[in-house]
Amino acid sequence: MKPQGITGGSFLFENPATALVMGLCPAIAVTTRVMDALWMSAFVLVVLVLSALFMALIARARVSESGEVQAATLGRQRLGALLITATLTGSIEVLLTAYIPEAIAGMGIYAPLIAVNCLVLSGAERATRAETVANGVADAVASGFGFACCLVLIALVREVLGAGTITLFPVGSFGGTIAVPGLSCDPIRALGLAGGGLLCLGYLAAALRSLQTRRANAMAGKAGVQ
Amino acid sequence: MSWVAIIVTFALVDNAILARLLGVCPDITEQGRMKGAVQIGIAMTILMTVSSIGAWAVEDFILAPLGLSFLQTPLFLFLVLGVGFLLELLATRVIPGFAPAPGFSMAEVGINSASLGIVLVVARSDMTGAESLVAGFATGVGYFLVTAMMIAIRERLEVEQVPRFLRGFPLHLISAGLLAYAFMAFDRAFLARILGS
Repeated sequence: MKPQGITGGSFLFENPATALVMGLCPAIAVTTRVMDALWMSAFVLVVLVLSALFMALIARARVSESGEVQAATLGRQRLGALLITATLTGSIEVLLTAYIPEAIAGMGIYAPLIAVNCLVLSGAERATRAETVANGVADAVASGFGFACCLVLIALVREVLGAGTITLFPVGSFGGTIAVPGLSCDPIRALGLAGGGLLCLGYLAAALRSLQTRRANAMAGKAGVQ
Repeated sequence: MSWVAIIVTFALVDNAILARLLGVCPDITEQGRMKGAVQIGIAMTILMTVSSIGAWAVEDFILAPLGLSFLQTPLFLFLVLGVGFLLELLATRVIPGFAPAPGFSMAEVGINSASLGIVLVVARSDMTGAESLVAGFATGVGYFLVTAMMIAIRERLEVEQVPRFLRGFPLHLISAGLLAYAFMAFDRAFLARILGS
């Protein structure tokens, strides 16, 4: 199996959130600030890659004497994936609470919910069907980065238009917040609300689908000329 | 908080899908017909109610006294999963003629961010056991209500002429967004008005 997330320019058109409809809760809920979106992206990426790695390793360990991978039943596979993602999420949450409490405060209730994120679960289950462990992990990395790009893009749109600021990490004398001239005093506050997140993701998915259709039409036109 | 306040808050003001954004997944954007939504809505309401009281008991009698609250995520996840399996088993044994639809598993349907989310919200609040039970029930009712509304909107939009790139998932999200703005009418001021305080 080729790593799905790497082939075919999938960063844009096979993005987990906008095209495959996965992991939408954090994509909408924590994208009111860019910094929270970055933390959530990193959290999802780490859990996704580690769970894919463990699931792929477990699948390899089930190789029979004849060299065939013994397929686990779907129920057992899902249970295994849940156990691994829940343990990883809980462990990372404890570490973040101890060392970077502001990250957990920003993500709120959505941090532990990564354990049942369908992007993470499907990535972990897909890794068991990968030809090699490296392929499974590469697929998870690509999915995670695609998801992160989508999250940061939505957060950028929502924070810039909805609050007139861009919140990043404070470094030295830089307080971490950049005020956008012209928007910071009169932002479109509705975009920062829950409905704004749903609208942003909906329009982003529509824009990407429109681009994809145009690209497909252009390629079909070229093929017709040749 | 009074009982009415808990019900209105968890069902409408802080609706699981439209305000807390829990359970916004393919289930809500791509659900089937109204019959399926009713089945899933009832299952989720029962699951959330039982899981909430279970989570309160686990947190108050085991995790908090032993200082093991950091185990909330994995424990609650398997609590919801276990409750889902038990309810399905109970339904097949107790209700004559009950047979879940092909591919329908209460445990699998129940494992989403809405059920785990409400369990975590209840466990992390200072609610009593009875309040947790009512909060779980109200959340389930709110989830059911919004799911049914989304299906009704989707069925209506299917017969409308819509640009091709908006069809399906993007339009469902945009509809949900507009519905979320409409639900903002149920706010704290609304709550204060109906409670007369």
